[in-house]
Amino acid sequence: MAKALKINTRDNVGVLLEGIRSGETVDVMTGEGVMQLEARQEIPFGHKIALANLSADQPIIKYGEEIGRARTAILAGDWIHLHNLYCRRGHEDRGEQDKR
Amino acid sequence: MNTFQGYRRAQGLPGTRNVVAVIPSVFCANTVARRIAEQVDGAMAFCHPVGCSQVGLDLELTARGLKGLGRHPNFYGVVVVGLGCERLQARELAEGIAASGKPVEMLVIQEEGDTLQAIAKGVAFACRLVEEASRQTREAFPLSELSLGLKCGGTDATSGIAANPALGWVTDRICEAGGRAIFTEVTELIGAEQILAGRAVNPKVAGQILSTIGNIEKRLSAATTGAEMQHRSALISPGNQDGGLTSVVEKALGGIYKAGTGSISGCLGYGEYPAGPGLYLLDCVGHDGEAVTGLVASGCQEVVFTTGRGTPTGFPGVPVIKITGNRATYDRMRFNLDFNAGGIVEGRPIAEVGAELLEKVLRIGSGEPSRAELLGHDELFCITRI
Repeated sequence: MAKALKINTRDNVGVLLEGIRSGETVDVMTGEGVMQLEARQEIPFGHKIALANLSADQPIIKYGEEIGRARTAILAGDWIHLHNLYCRRGHEDRGEQDKR
Repeated sequence: MNTFQGYRRAQGLPGTRNVVAVIPSVFCANTVARRIAEQVDGAMAFCHPVGCSQVGLDLELTARGLKGLGRHPNFYGVVVVGLGCERLQARELAEGIAASGKPVEMLVIQEEGDTLQAIAKGVAFACRLVEEASRQTREAFPLSELSLGLKCGGTDATSGIAANPALGWVTDRICEAGGRAIFTEVTELIGAEQILAGRAVNPKVAGQILSTIGNIEKRLSAATTGAEMQHRSALISPGNQDGGLTSVVEKALGGIYKAGTGSISGCLGYGEYPAGPGLYLLDCVGHDGEAVTGLVASGCQEVVFTTGRGTPTGFPGVPVIKITGNRATYDRMRFNLDFNAGGIVEGRPIAEVGAELLEKVLRIGSGEPSRAELLGHDELFCITRI
């Protein structure tokens, strides 16, 4: 079974330790145990899977810190990447453009 | 036993290599410098595109960078080659390097006559310095005599999980032993500034960390504003994105693991050497060449370079040790990579892999060639500009 890593207890994403197909179940090692989750899309090695449902603009947490915010509503098991995460840092003057 | 075999110098830390550097003060002297080095086994040329038609801080950074390079402990001696009419005068560069107590020779093409006469004089200087250098032998030095450069490039998701934590373990051991470690790549620290400021030894250093990262973020924001540059506004590379990284903050939070867990002793300007032991932040951008050149120009005798995607590059005369946390990359680019930290992804303890990495650092510091050295990679010498 495919594995993923929840790096920090505060994280709401896991990192895939191998690539998985849509519908496959993944074992997420949380440091406190193993949580099982079904991938809603194909997710490559090293990429992120949502561990919880997130609403638009909610912080996305990895390493225990905010790495960006949800561009749209995200469901547990979704692949998280450029299509649904925005980050304004280094682009402060662009403001709302980042969300497009 | 945590020691390495190095070359004692008149001042400062020992060298991990013992070569002669031929450094042009201006790009007009590049061919003469290159041909001197080509004719003398044990000499290396450092050709660059700067040294004239620059003003202010841009010219000053060139001067600081080349002086810091020349002072580097891996170079027994230096031959400075000038043209004569350039803004960064050969004499200024030679005197700046000679302040470190090492032998420095200087020649100026317009004074020698022509290319042929300048090469002949430079070859004679370089031959004599290489002969002198060859009389030195390696001696044992403790970890406290090591200044390690920390760098990542071609980052992917394994960098923050495996390669950088393994390197961070090494950083902590070196700093605990009274050695030095320097990290930089300030363009890729955005989002980690509060964590780093919280690790500063005092409020002054915390303020310097925040302003160093804040200044770079302002520069990037200005450069990425405007509709016509939107196709050039990404702060991380396509390779980073393919490797699973989505934002610059995610890259930063994984990147700072290589700086370990200890307190940050200070911030360094480009070309500045640490005043004492500890962990330092160097003010330089994330470009692999500019950052490694900055680390060398601050005296790092070795650089450990973590890479998820894999990169072959090296620096002349200074070992750049490539480590990856990505097993597939290690298998694919085997001969470009010195160390596999991928076991951490599969569950090996960070301390166990870190201890092996420290051993590798000490072996390479003692003379074992890094893969980049074996293959002749020298792309990373690159003077920073503003």
